[in-house]
Amino acid sequence: MGQQYLDNGWISILITLTMVALVLFNILRAHGGKDLFIRRIAGLNAIDEAVGRATEMGRPVLMVPGLTDTTVNAKTMQAINIFAYVSRVAARFANPILVCCYNASTYTVAQEIIRDVYQQEGLGDRFDVDSVRFISDRQFAFAAGVAGLILREQAAATFFMGEFYAESLILAETANSVGAIQVASSTELTQTPFFIAACDYVLIGDEFYAASAFLTRQPVLVGSLIGQDWCKLLIACMIFCGVIFNSIQLSGGSHHTITEAWNEGKMDKLKPKPFGAGDTTVSRWLNPDPAKDTKIDRPKLPKDELPAKAPGGGN
Amino acid sequence: MELLAQLAPKTFWNAPNGSSELWVKIIIAFFIGIGFFIGMMNVPTQMRRPIVFTVTFVSGLFYFLFWIYPAPINKAPEDAPRNTLEAFSFWISDSQAVVADLTNIIASFLIGLGIYSLLRVHLGKIKKQQRDWQFSVVLIVSMLAMILFGYVDFYMRLDPANSKMAGSGYVGWTFWQFGRDLLFNGLLQNMDAGMFSIVAFYILSAAYRAFRARSIEATILLVTALVVMLSLMGLVEFYWAQGVDSAHLSNNFKLDNVARWLRGNVQTPAIRGIDFGVGIGLLAMGVRLWLNLEKTGSAS
Repeated sequence: MGQQYLDNGWISILITLTMVALVLFNILRAHGGKDLFIRRIAGLNAIDEAVGRATEMGRPVLMVPGLTDTTVNAKTMQAINIFAYVSRVAARFANPILVCCYNASTYTVAQEIIRDVYQQEGLGDRFDVDSVRFISDRQFAFAAGVAGLILREQAAATFFMGEFYAESLILAETANSVGAIQVASSTELTQTPFFIAACDYVLIGDEFYAASAFLTRQPVLVGSLIGQDWCKLLIACMIFCGVIFNSIQLSGGSHHTITEAWNEGKMDKLKPKPFGAGDTTVSRWLNPDPAKDTKIDRPKLPKDELPAKAPGGGN
Repeated sequence: MELLAQLAPKTFWNAPNGSSELWVKIIIAFFIGIGFFIGMMNVPTQMRRPIVFTVTFVSGLFYFLFWIYPAPINKAPEDAPRNTLEAFSFWISDSQAVVADLTNIIASFLIGLGIYSLLRVHLGKIKKQQRDWQFSVVLIVSMLAMILFGYVDFYMRLDPANSKMAGSGYVGWTFWQFGRDLLFNGLLQNMDAGMFSIVAFYILSAAYRAFRARSIEATILLVTALVVMLSLMGLVEFYWAQGVDSAHLSNNFKLDNVARWLRGNVQTPAIRGIDFGVGIGLLAMGVRLWLNLEKTGSAS
């Protein structure tokens, strides 16, 4: 939210709304019965295998929906969506599950959703309230708690999905040490290499968001996924056009003029100001102008409607 | 009464300190909260989804408008809006802090549920004398001690007579301050740092497994990692550079130049590409949640 009366920030809003429109349009297409294709994702094919293996070994499946601060966000919801599928498979095999939550909001939402899954399967009596647990909302206390659970319960399969930070490797290596089959995905790109190094299957980048569409094949999710692909195409086109337009504009003489002036020692006679990539039209479209010193004359509120001064001299 | 002081600029969401308007608003908000709570407790199960949808949609709509609606420029506390459009923009920007506070209030209620979950699991474990139940005793005692010392320390520091406590050193400290310091800085912070430092060893073991040349991809990864690591070792980089003529094409093969090329031309574009995918995925997920298109946990 910036100074949108004046700057060019509207183009970012326009692009975002276009992408939203593309997603919604494809959801409508999918609802209309259009058969839409999704490619296979190796990490998701491994879910059934991992749960099956845990059942054979009689050991639990452990899931962590990331370390989201304060409240539940879209990343956590996506992770819980995937865990709902894992829990469904585990419930059918009567396999114990453990969902470890980093904050109390995630704990509440995850417990309700997993309970719903068991009830939908007609196995409500098999749902153990303690299978969804709040561990700690302190990063390394959480890591220590989950690592302890993995070791004590000897988890046979672990799923780490959502936001992970420095604790990612502690969790993944601990699970590796007990021989658990691991499927992981981090929305934090800095942690993805750690998961790749330590886990059996990793969902990279937007594969995490494609997971629920792939697993459930719900038209809404499949349509949304296709919409996301269209959005990526849109962005690719914009990058391509940006490269072309910027190149044309930057090669419009300014560079040559500066180089020639420099070579001839006539920089002081150079009239146009040096032209950088930040000065191009495309750059100005996409980057809002810095705050302008604008004075707007507005009517003033009556003095009695203004707040009193604070006792300590503040306001 | 200072707790209820309304010192922010006057908006729809606050009122002058100690005024009857403030009390009326507090009482109305209290009754609305109680009414909502009782209503939600008694609402039929089939009605819950529409209610959740409505609340989600309205909350999402607020932030959608907050982001998309033009913001007031250089708004001073005493400014009045010039027209209806600007009045709406004033209202949105004034109420954002209140809506954010609502989220925090709800989240703080949920902490109680989190503590309930902890107590339920660990007290059950102690009661049944399950394996390693002693650790559960340690957890509960630690939690209660931290709450007690933290709260008493906080409360004592609120008293202006104890203002010396805020300074450096241990001036004016009592048993409670030393206790809190021992628990928080002496134990918790150090245990946090201890857990974090374990990551170094885990990186070593994970890297050992990942960087074995089992396939073409793993070999490329191994070589690339080796180049980047060597480029960060001053001595290796120095001796490597001895054999390179800076004025020659081979200057490009200095270790730090190769590493820079890898980071700038291979790593960064890949990360940007993945970032776009993640961002769009998040946007689509947000739209689905906002418009209630997401049926979380439903069967295939």
